[in-house]
Amino acid sequence: MADRVERLTNLVALLLETREPLSLRQIAAELEGMYPEGESARRGAFERDKALLRDIGVPIETEIVQGGSDPGQTRYWIDRKRYELESFDLDDEERRALQVAVAAIRQRSVIAQQALWKLGAEAVASAAPTTVVIPFSTVVADLREAIERRAVVTFGYGGATRRVEPFGLLLRNGFWYVVGHDLDRQDRRTFRIDRVEGAVEIGEAGAFERQPVVRTELFPTDPKLIADADEVMRTALVRISPPRATLVERQVGADRVRRREPDGSIVVAVDYRNPTAMRSWVIDFGVDAEILEPEDLRRDLIDWLSGMVRGR
Amino acid sequence: MSRRRADERMSRLLVMLPWLMGREVVPIDEVARRFDLSREEVVADLELAAMCGLPPFVDELIDIFIDDDEVHIGVPRLFTRPLRLTPLETLEVLVAIRAASGLPGVEPGDPLLRVADKLSTLLDVDDAVIVDLDGPEMAVDLRSAVEAAELIELSYWSQRREALIERLVLPRRVFADRGFWYLMAVEVDPLSDTPVSGPADTATGTTAVEYFRVDRIVDLRPTGRHLDPPAGPLPEPGRWFESEELPRVTVRIDPTLRWMIDQFPVDSLTTLDDGRLDIVLAVASRQWLERLMVRLGPGAEILGPAEYAEVADRFAASILARYADDRPSDRSNGAP
Repeated sequence: MADRVERLTNLVALLLETREPLSLRQIAAELEGMYPEGESARRGAFERDKALLRDIGVPIETEIVQGGSDPGQTRYWIDRKRYELESFDLDDEERRALQVAVAAIRQRSVIAQQALWKLGAEAVASAAPTTVVIPFSTVVADLREAIERRAVVTFGYGGATRRVEPFGLLLRNGFWYVVGHDLDRQDRRTFRIDRVEGAVEIGEAGAFERQPVVRTELFPTDPKLIADADEVMRTALVRISPPRATLVERQVGADRVRRREPDGSIVVAVDYRNPTAMRSWVIDFGVDAEILEPEDLRRDLIDWLSGMVRGR
Repeated sequence: MSRRRADERMSRLLVMLPWLMGREVVPIDEVARRFDLSREEVVADLELAAMCGLPPFVDELIDIFIDDDEVHIGVPRLFTRPLRLTPLETLEVLVAIRAASGLPGVEPGDPLLRVADKLSTLLDVDDAVIVDLDGPEMAVDLRSAVEAAELIELSYWSQRREALIERLVLPRRVFADRGFWYLMAVEVDPLSDTPVSGPADTATGTTAVEYFRVDRIVDLRPTGRHLDPPAGPLPEPGRWFESEELPRVTVRIDPTLRWMIDQFPVDSLTTLDDGRLDIVLAVASRQWLERLMVRLGPGAEILGPAEYAEVADRFAASILARYADDRPSDRSNGAP
């Protein structure tokens, strides 16, 4: 049996160069001795080869024969136009700029390194002054494809199933967000991609008109403003002790300071849609923060904390 | 030679062959260097490729021949063009270009913008992927200090010390990771303006650095003094949690709380029969852990080590003391 990489290389060459789509029987005959003899072993090996090639991005076309001598049979080929990277040229300056960009942002990414090779460049080392740690996942790539195809996506989020017309991906503060039109709430929503539960289902292409993603400030990424459920926007009043008072004032803005107290504490107005995120935000300050209003938010925090102290 | 996976070898081959096809003779070492392989791996892959081609494999082989230290390429006929970019490769390049384009110093006419233009047809570059690298305003000043190698004085709220601390530092990098912006800096002795030698990571040989959350820098004062950055590579941003020196804790949580822990590097995760999860995490500090536990709430408990068993209770009680005039609501009578 041939080395698998040898067989795969021959398979790709064959499917690229063939003038007509080929059946598995024809493929096995042409690649003499490379596929097992038995029908099911051969089919199994071929399916695994096809899966591997598809995973690395080789597009294998299939067609089912309609008439003729072998109706219902599947035939395979590779469309050269879909396989090949269009040719283009980068001058030395441009190549360098691309390499530096990838080094700054995607240092040590094997995938980015592969991409650079395909584009005629190579990975370089760099220590850029500013960078972002970017979590990548296939979910991000899947969603981008859904956006391109204008397909509705369905996914689990916060324990519920959400259906969204996605129109943009936003990378901010080291997290990925998908922004789109939530079909059940009939409103624009932001979702943090690392909080998507399970796989994303992609629907039919062309299901909606694309909305350009403008004014990204309209897409909140503050967890307090990203609601799991159907929450309305509310405003809390929170007292913050010094020295954190300065930090909070910078974070929310001086115009949100409702009162300044003699000891340096401030009372700030904080908007929130997500009570859980609001509670987390307050807890982070420990003894340096106190919720004043609204009453139910204050109540909820007291109950939450009491439950932890009592219940052990 | 280590065993390499077939998919990795194929990916590499499908980009290596087209690159070779454009040249007549290439030193093996150059191929190895460019494609991040050992000499042996290059020779093995190319000798294998030389046996491949089109049936009947007599006249139509991939025309490559290895001789001593060089690869000779004959008539380029097969695999002359690289495979197109996969969706993930596309996304990574796109994000790199977008993010880098947003950094200070990129003017119209910059080569990077020309690259973005040229790649726009290839990558379906469009408005759908937005990279927002702005961060807090303070990040701009910090970035300038990094580029100028300028010493700055920081007034910083230290969570671990629960107090304001003063530091003189040489900023080295500014980065965002999982929702927060950080400054990676070398601590400097104000009496001598020389780096305080900290425990450099001897395993990787990287420079000793401190990390500061940008949103906890209360004040920053440029000094106008400069320092040559110490030689040596910087640690990779985002990996600092993974130090083996940090203590570990085992936490048992309801599965609904999983997302709150998912953003932290987890040593191990075990699913129990009832669906709950046992997770082993690095502990950045007691203060960090007590906040995490109180945010997780009653659905989480610390299994060990024993020294951490009470942290959640104590922290919750300390916050509760601020609400001493109120009593927990009586839920049994249905009152809101």
